[in-house]
Amino acid sequence: MPDAPLLELRGITKRFGDLVANDGVDLEVAQGEVHALLGENGAGKSTLMNVLYGLTSPDAGEIRFDGKPLRLRSPRDAIDAGIGMVHQHFMLIPVMTVTENIVLAAEPREGPLLDYGKAHDIVRDLSDRYGLAVRPDERIESIGVAQQQRVEILKALYRSARLLVLDEPTAVLTPQETSELFTVIRSLREQGTSIIFITHKLNEVLEIADRITVLRRGKVMATVATTGTDERRLAELMVGRSVQRVEKGAAQPGEPLLSVRDLVVHDSRGLEAVRGASFDVRAGEIVGLAGVDGNGQSELVEAITGLVKPAAGTVVADGHDIGGHGARASFEAGVGHIPEDRQRRGLVLDFTLAENLNLRNVRRRPISRFGILDPRAIAERARRLLGEYDVRGGGPGTRARALSGGNQQKVVIAREMSGTQRILVASQPTRGLDVGAIEFVHKRLLAVRELGAAILLVSFELDEILALSDRILVMYEGRIVAEHGSDVSESVLGLEMMGGGSAAAV
Amino acid sequence: MTALDRIPRGARGVAILGIVVGLVGLELALPPLQVQAAAVPVVLGLAAAACAIWALTREERKLGIWALLVAVVATAFAIWVQGKSDTSTSLVVNSGLFAATLVYATPLAYGALGGIFCERAGVVNIGLEGMMLTGAFFGIWGTVWSGHWAIGLVVAMLAGALVALVHAVFSIHLRADQIVTGTAINFLAVGVTGYAFIDIYGSNGTPPSIDSVPSITLPGIESIPGIGGVFGSLNLMIWVVFVLLVVTHLLLFRTPIGLRIRSVGEHPRAADTVGIPVYRIRYACVMLSGVLAALGGAYLSVGFVGSFGQNMTVGRGFIALAAVIFGKWRPYGAFGACLLFGFASGLADRLQSVAGVSPNLLATLPYVLTLIALVGLVGRSRPPAADGQPYVKG
Repeated sequence: MPDAPLLELRGITKRFGDLVANDGVDLEVAQGEVHALLGENGAGKSTLMNVLYGLTSPDAGEIRFDGKPLRLRSPRDAIDAGIGMVHQHFMLIPVMTVTENIVLAAEPREGPLLDYGKAHDIVRDLSDRYGLAVRPDERIESIGVAQQQRVEILKALYRSARLLVLDEPTAVLTPQETSELFTVIRSLREQGTSIIFITHKLNEVLEIADRITVLRRGKVMATVATTGTDERRLAELMVGRSVQRVEKGAAQPGEPLLSVRDLVVHDSRGLEAVRGASFDVRAGEIVGLAGVDGNGQSELVEAITGLVKPAAGTVVADGHDIGGHGARASFEAGVGHIPEDRQRRGLVLDFTLAENLNLRNVRRRPISRFGILDPRAIAERARRLLGEYDVRGGGPGTRARALSGGNQQKVVIAREMSGTQRILVASQPTRGLDVGAIEFVHKRLLAVRELGAAILLVSFELDEILALSDRILVMYEGRIVAEHGSDVSESVLGLEMMGGGSAAAV
Repeated sequence: MTALDRIPRGARGVAILGIVVGLVGLELALPPLQVQAAAVPVVLGLAAAACAIWALTREERKLGIWALLVAVVATAFAIWVQGKSDTSTSLVVNSGLFAATLVYATPLAYGALGGIFCERAGVVNIGLEGMMLTGAFFGIWGTVWSGHWAIGLVVAMLAGALVALVHAVFSIHLRADQIVTGTAINFLAVGVTGYAFIDIYGSNGTPPSIDSVPSITLPGIESIPGIGGVFGSLNLMIWVVFVLLVVTHLLLFRTPIGLRIRSVGEHPRAADTVGIPVYRIRYACVMLSGVLAALGGAYLSVGFVGSFGQNMTVGRGFIALAAVIFGKWRPYGAFGACLLFGFASGLADRLQSVAGVSPNLLATLPYVLTLIALVGLVGRSRPPAADGQPYVKG
């Protein structure tokens, strides 16, 4: 590793009211180093990076870049200094082209006009030089997330970034895309670019980083070299206590509770998204549905939970035919649903927790009598559920928006699993959650399994599928293409998810 | 990119050709040429329809439908005109109608260009109406005070910028609801100009003869039949709006500053992260919007009527805003909408003298035509993504 650090942060402190987001943070990144910044949600990673990118100014502390002190009043200053950032939520303009997005605010000119021909060439050259394949004239809205990410990286490289900050870059990628990204990161490192890699995924950190700095509650816990550490130690540093991988006993499956037969579902454009899927989920087992995003999982889930009407086939839940009878029929047959987007579909963000928790039983006593809601009963039930599911950060009267992602998800689970639900469809139940919250959700799913519920778990995270499932189905282009026990390897699944493998349709 | 590349090729080009051919068929039947053979518009109409269908089958839907519509309407109208006596047709359809179209369209076009800048930068400007009215009054006031129309226009622009600044401060820094702020601007403008008008000029109104914006006469063109009547002698401010139209289009879509303005209207945070000063651009665009809208108002008072009357813009700012949406936030599109509205207004004026229809009914013609065009032809239009949303830094 080269000697003189390219970036030094010394004693960075940033407060928001009473909250100390960064508390005397020190960080050094060497030239050509991949430095991982590891921490749970809310540990202060984003705040630190906003400081580094000139989006917020620290209350105390010093930034030194290339040996000289650096004062950042705006992102412009950071860009000029040679710092590039790829935000978790891409900062791209959907209606503009790849080229326009890359050259924005640093456009090549021809007199007073923008030189589109030259801009196009610039993008081509950069794309070739760093092996980041993009189509320069395509609009952002018509390309996939992996390519959008490459555009973001090119944007930073075009501005001659010497330090590239990648904020949770793998959150949106498939395993294959992730390994492509890692190839790019390695080649950037070889060309001397330094990289700060923000994540909370331990295995990725160990694979790609040279050194790792762990943040917890705004403080640096440690900076360690990747060689000589392991997942367990990193997780402890991150969470502050030892984290066990959830242990699950052998499944004792009973009779099938959820039966899907020859299900065909159309997507919003009228194309066949699910093309004849058949499977059972039995009482007391978790069935994992693996697949790359967009292979019909969302439509399958929506058909089971009654949100869309299947074009053909049947869905039977606990003996009731629920195909195409609407969301209430599905819920009343015992199907709980953790939707993939908890903020848009799982919760009404501007409603209180009490209201959110009782959305499903507004028609039931004692929540309502003769069509009139009983606020006391609503608050009462909410208080009980909040305690039972360990929801922190608010009471029955708190708005759902105010909670952290993990606690929001607990509210959704509490609503969907309380009462008499015997079937649970969990779609991406841990997306965007930190290690502690993931642990909670996983334990909860296993507890529900122990009680004899049938669980369909849809996830793009193979780790999660492998850790929880008793059986694993692979979905590809609308069909269930393989079925495995829980002992299958990640590489086999990965291949099948891409349409490879020899498995015949089950 | 060479000039040749700008000519639309393929299906688009054919559709445009169809529109042109259809219009030529109509023009031949109208005064002063008045070709009487029915075969002429029919043949040209068929040719236009053929172009339209050719384009439609090649995935050029929008322009194809336009071409088809022009082919049918223009041919029908041309045949109808041929059957009419010379006098009544030439009373309605003459070069004066097209000149009137431009006269009616011009204040709208100024307002619409202002609206485009404002909304492209992400600020909804429903206060265009008030800004136009402000321009109308202060244009007159400045002209009377200084004795020169040019000074009047400068005063109008300053007044428009000042009113727009109020809108900008409320919507950008104070993050007020932009519809509410804009509506308040409209009421404010009615009140302020109405009060100042009475206070300064009393019950007699503005002085009878004031210095007004001159017309530009083009000697060569004036004598060409047809075109001469329309373009031969036009108010200077109409020529200026043509120039502004082209300049605005180039600025927004061909220059770095235009790309930045659009990025601020689409995704201000993305713009901010590459170092574009979001607030500064929004302030500049809102104020430019006020300047342009005020010029539109001043055209009404100083350029056209030569006097001011209370609330003399009577909703033209709203029509300009509709033209912005109608034209999909693009200068040429919005100008097309302004022309359509101007044409309908001119037609309504003229029909009053020949048709035995209630003038009140005819007065709805521009609005009805605009509605039909809006629903039937424009399709879904998508505003800038951040239009109307205040931006919070950090």
